[in-house]
Amino acid sequence: MSAIHLQNLVKKFGDFAALKTMDLEIADGEFMALLGPSGCGKSTTMNMIAGMEEPTSGKILFGERDMAGVPMGRRGVGFVFQNYAIFTHMTVRQNLAYGPKMRGTAKAEIDRRVGAIAEMLQLSPLLDRKADRLSVNILQRVAIGRSAIMEPAIFLLDEPLSNVDAAFRAVMRTELKQLQRQFRQTMVYVTHDQLEAMTMADRIAVMDHGVLQQVGTPLEVYNNPANVFVARFIGAPGMNLLKGRPAQSDRGLVIDLGPLGVTPPLSDDLASAVRAVRGDVLYGFRPEQVTLAERGLSMPVSFVERIGARTIVHLGEGESAVKAVFENDVGLSVRQTAVVAPPASSVRVFDADTGLAVRAG
Amino acid sequence: MSALTATILEDKMDARTKSVAPDEGARLGFRLTLPAQILVLFISAFPLLMQLYISVTDWSPLSGVGWWNAWEMWNSFANYTDLAADTRFWSALQRTAIVMLVCVPAEFLLGLALATLFADDFPGKRIFYSILLMPMMVVPAVAGYMFFMLFQSGGPVNDILSRLVGTPVTIAWLSDPNLALIAVMIADIWQWTPLMFLILLAGLVGVPEDQMKAATLLGANAWQRFTTIVLPKMKTIIIIALAIRVIENFKIFDTLYIMTGGGPGVATETISVYIYKVTTQDLIWGYVAAIALAILIVLSIVAVYAMKRMAKSREVPA
Repeated sequence: MSAIHLQNLVKKFGDFAALKTMDLEIADGEFMALLGPSGCGKSTTMNMIAGMEEPTSGKILFGERDMAGVPMGRRGVGFVFQNYAIFTHMTVRQNLAYGPKMRGTAKAEIDRRVGAIAEMLQLSPLLDRKADRLSVNILQRVAIGRSAIMEPAIFLLDEPLSNVDAAFRAVMRTELKQLQRQFRQTMVYVTHDQLEAMTMADRIAVMDHGVLQQVGTPLEVYNNPANVFVARFIGAPGMNLLKGRPAQSDRGLVIDLGPLGVTPPLSDDLASAVRAVRGDVLYGFRPEQVTLAERGLSMPVSFVERIGARTIVHLGEGESAVKAVFENDVGLSVRQTAVVAPPASSVRVFDADTGLAVRAG
Repeated sequence: MSALTATILEDKMDARTKSVAPDEGARLGFRLTLPAQILVLFISAFPLLMQLYISVTDWSPLSGVGWWNAWEMWNSFANYTDLAADTRFWSALQRTAIVMLVCVPAEFLLGLALATLFADDFPGKRIFYSILLMPMMVVPAVAGYMFFMLFQSGGPVNDILSRLVGTPVTIAWLSDPNLALIAVMIADIWQWTPLMFLILLAGLVGVPEDQMKAATLLGANAWQRFTTIVLPKMKTIIIIALAIRVIENFKIFDTLYIMTGGGPGVATETISVYIYKVTTQDLIWGYVAAIALAILIVLSIVAVYAMKRMAKSREVPA
């Protein structure tokens, strides 16, 4: 009923294609995050779902219903704006009551619903406060409540945490996730912050330059990025990618990284897939999965960042720079040489020409 | 504008007496601004006191004594009792009120409609914008001559009407007592709608776009958005626009005087025209001072009311 289907969606502003093509299925009750850097087309996609913009071509369906030509006031979507767009000249109560009032709901019914939603969002003591003197976490709850009172089947959130300082963001992430569990609506959440996407979403749609790069659960996207963009974008720091050429050694298929030497042998599954690639490949591994080893890639330490729980070690430089993340501390300092090796199971290989992941058979 | 300055001054003095702190910085600030304060006080208080003084005498420039000796012609408030019984004054005041009650709302509604239109983009917007602002830049005297020509019985207005109706129209716009007032009001609306438009457009552009979108998403139609979001957000600016026009319109003179000279008879004689005639033709300045003071009191009441409303609406900032 409240599933969202985006089919061949295209949006052009003059000559500029904000969204080149987009096919996405969002299931009923799912929390989908649209994740990407600014200008990737995620907000455009969201605005088209809300009906603020008409697609240049393609279809948007809510369940079975085609949304073409349905004005935004009639789509039954709740929308939480980046700056919340609270009506500052009204009280919290008037903000919450706005939607039902505009639709001519009876006074008693409005009061009942405002009371219920305020109770749920812990806004009851603030109902008669002017909305221009509220803190940002309360503004967010008012924004959510104002939409939720309409009981929309679909909830759209446009970077609702980007104006909030870091400490507060963590609190609000949990709060939002709990709210979604309560409401059980289909939620589409636009963000450029992967932490928000990873922690809250059921599935993440990663976008770049108006193209959908990958759709998957947070762990799928993290563990098996579909291409080089996703590999670099997801994770902090992103995946290490070293250019090289597959080569056969007596221990199995390895990647010849030129001056860095050769990698440890690939796993058998991956090796057979890599053999099919013509030309250069990118040898990828997560910084968090690096271990110090006897044999492996020997690289000079160029910088060490200690941030308490973790230590990030920068190795090598330029094209062959690699980051390694260790828990708490590691006995490495600048100008030492480290020998690092990723476990064979965590290695990912990408085709250097197409940027696509080479998947084990 | 003297009414406005007077109330602003009052406000200033009010604030000063309240905020003088026993702190050295504030005292220094007070001493530094004292010359300017005295100057401002002198500029606004001196003419007022002089006016008050003359208004209780029979003094005129031709009376042969300097104004400072006007006490010799003390007439024990006769000017004020005369004024209360002066039917020409009261009907001029009434006429001024009628002009104001027609012109200001008309200018406001037209200005608001135009501002709403210009808040969105449409082809040729910049050209229309320039054309629309032109009347405001025409010297009122020139506008007066222009409308004087337009409303002649053989003039363009009747000419256009003739073409529309099909038979020759020869309405004597400026010599019919009722029509003359209408013609004068049309000229005022033509000239001052652009100012209203400009102020209201500034307010309209300041209405946050995403709050409008949020209202739309919550199901508000265009009229509901206008009444629940746009108007409340524009309250302060609407009060300012109306106050400016009420005060200015009350003093309507130049365009009107050139079009009709206050006539036919006294059919378009507003307060300013009446004062002008009493000053230049009858030369009884003591009486003029009394009238001017009465008007100052009326306008001050308007200005103070507007400022009170503004202060009130500022408690709920847009």
